[in-house]
Amino acid sequence: MKSQVIRAVVGIAALSIALMGQMDVPAWGMGTRPPAIGMPASEFILPDLDGRAQSLSQHRGKIVLVNFWATWCKPCTTEMPAMQTAYDKLRDKGFIVLAVNELEDEAKVREHIRAYGHTFPVLMDHDNRVANQYGVYGLPVSVFIDEAGIVQEYIKGGLLTEPRIYEVVDRIRTGAQLKVTAR
Amino acid sequence: MGKTTIRIISGLFLLLTGVVLSIVMTSPVQASCGAVTCFVVIGSQQQVPQKGLLTINGIYNYTPMRLLEGTSGVIPAIDQAGRRLILDHHQETRTITQTFTLDLNYGVTERFGLQVTLPYLKRTHRHIDELGEANGGAGESVNFFDNGIGDIRVTTKYNVLPTLRSMVVMGFGVDIPTGDTNARDSSGGVMEAPTQLGRGNVGLIGSVYQTYELVPHRVNQFSFASYRHTFRNNDGYQFGDEYLLNLGLNLVTVPWLVLTQQLNYRYLTHDNISASLERSQNPSDPTFPDEPIGLDPNISNRRVPNTGSTYLAYTPGFQINFGGSTSVYFYSQIPIARDANNNLAQGTSFVFGVTQYLRGPSLFE
Repeated sequence: MKSQVIRAVVGIAALSIALMGQMDVPAWGMGTRPPAIGMPASEFILPDLDGRAQSLSQHRGKIVLVNFWATWCKPCTTEMPAMQTAYDKLRDKGFIVLAVNELEDEAKVREHIRAYGHTFPVLMDHDNRVANQYGVYGLPVSVFIDEAGIVQEYIKGGLLTEPRIYEVVDRIRTGAQLKVTAR
Repeated sequence: MGKTTIRIISGLFLLLTGVVLSIVMTSPVQASCGAVTCFVVIGSQQQVPQKGLLTINGIYNYTPMRLLEGTSGVIPAIDQAGRRLILDHHQETRTITQTFTLDLNYGVTERFGLQVTLPYLKRTHRHIDELGEANGGAGESVNFFDNGIGDIRVTTKYNVLPTLRSMVVMGFGVDIPTGDTNARDSSGGVMEAPTQLGRGNVGLIGSVYQTYELVPHRVNQFSFASYRHTFRNNDGYQFGDEYLLNLGLNLVTVPWLVLTQQLNYRYLTHDNISASLERSQNPSDPTFPDEPIGLDPNISNRRVPNTGSTYLAYTPGFQINFGGSTSVYFYSQIPIARDANNNLAQGTSFVFGVTQYLRGPSLFE
């Protein structure tokens, strides 16, 4: 009898602990699947470093590179200079970068952005909600969205380079669809 | 996250360490003759790696077992070949197990992983055999040494609900009976099943690993629970079921140094053997010293006394990261509560390991 009670307690404890970690997972996004290529990108609204709310839809009509990153993520910070250069060259030609920071405080992010001289919009995803919407559970992730708001490429891990960014932008403009790539 | 907050968390971490170390509890429990290993949760082993990423762990584990003060170590002997269970026939002295493990953890897809664990064991054991029979009833000292591959474990794992902040990994594993079960001791007899390197039959393991970033990239908690069932082997011996529960915290102090601590709980049910039953002679027997006295000659399923155990330990440790692909770690598992029931009890154990990440071609595109 005692052994049965012990087994039951351990089993319940194990199940409880397994469920514990999910208490804070938002119901609208469980980080399960990346967005499908060719489907509309999920709308989101996030504050930038100046406290202004920015939505994905307000950039409709441009090619949008949504990049999920964090200051502690070395590949993330390594690829940002390439994103900055591409942003500088293409921002007047209908291209924008939205760098979505995950789970960090603004002071730290502001310090990093200032130190590296980045000028593209940085949005703060404090509660991990948008990352879950886009199936992000590892950093960095880059999502290219065309002028009509359709996901055209989803890149997990690896490093974005200038040539790669220009290649994707050119393909989007010529209308060719790409597969989800993971490096 | 501010420096003040980091200091507060570090202080709480150290305070918790002090509180736990100050607690000493003992309670009686049953333990098997010789064979236990550490079961520290090592994150890189438990997680599902990214697709195409191979995580290699090389682990060294030192686990001593000795008698607790005030215990005699007198336990039954198990004669697998003769299908005999002989009460009070052995007096345990010591077991030391060194395990060298190669653990390969591969991300087949983004959420499905495959893990192969290959242990190589070196085990030494000493006990006094033939109590009530040899050497005027005092028995004879017997040594045992064996080294070789243990039972290989293959585990499939699935990352159920991954987010940037949390992870739940369900695992299902199989222990393949590749370890030796017929090694002999210094007297020429086959060593008892619990001390052999292998268990002699398949084991099935279900597990759950959960982790959550309390403070993203600074403090995370983890838990691990598993259940193992081992089938009866050809010698008629069946190891008891094993329940593991581990709870822990990781603190990232600086990017290259992670402090970790965990509580490890293990509950083993008793072993069983299909055997006849005998007992050793004692001085009150008129024929003492002589061969064991038969109690029940029928071969039937019997609970093995002095097997099964409860064990609670506190395990502090640290991990040092070298660049992005290599890390080393060290843990010391310190017993808090041990239920030895007159058998050998696991002492302070040590784990040292190296983790290497390799990016390879994905098996599935």
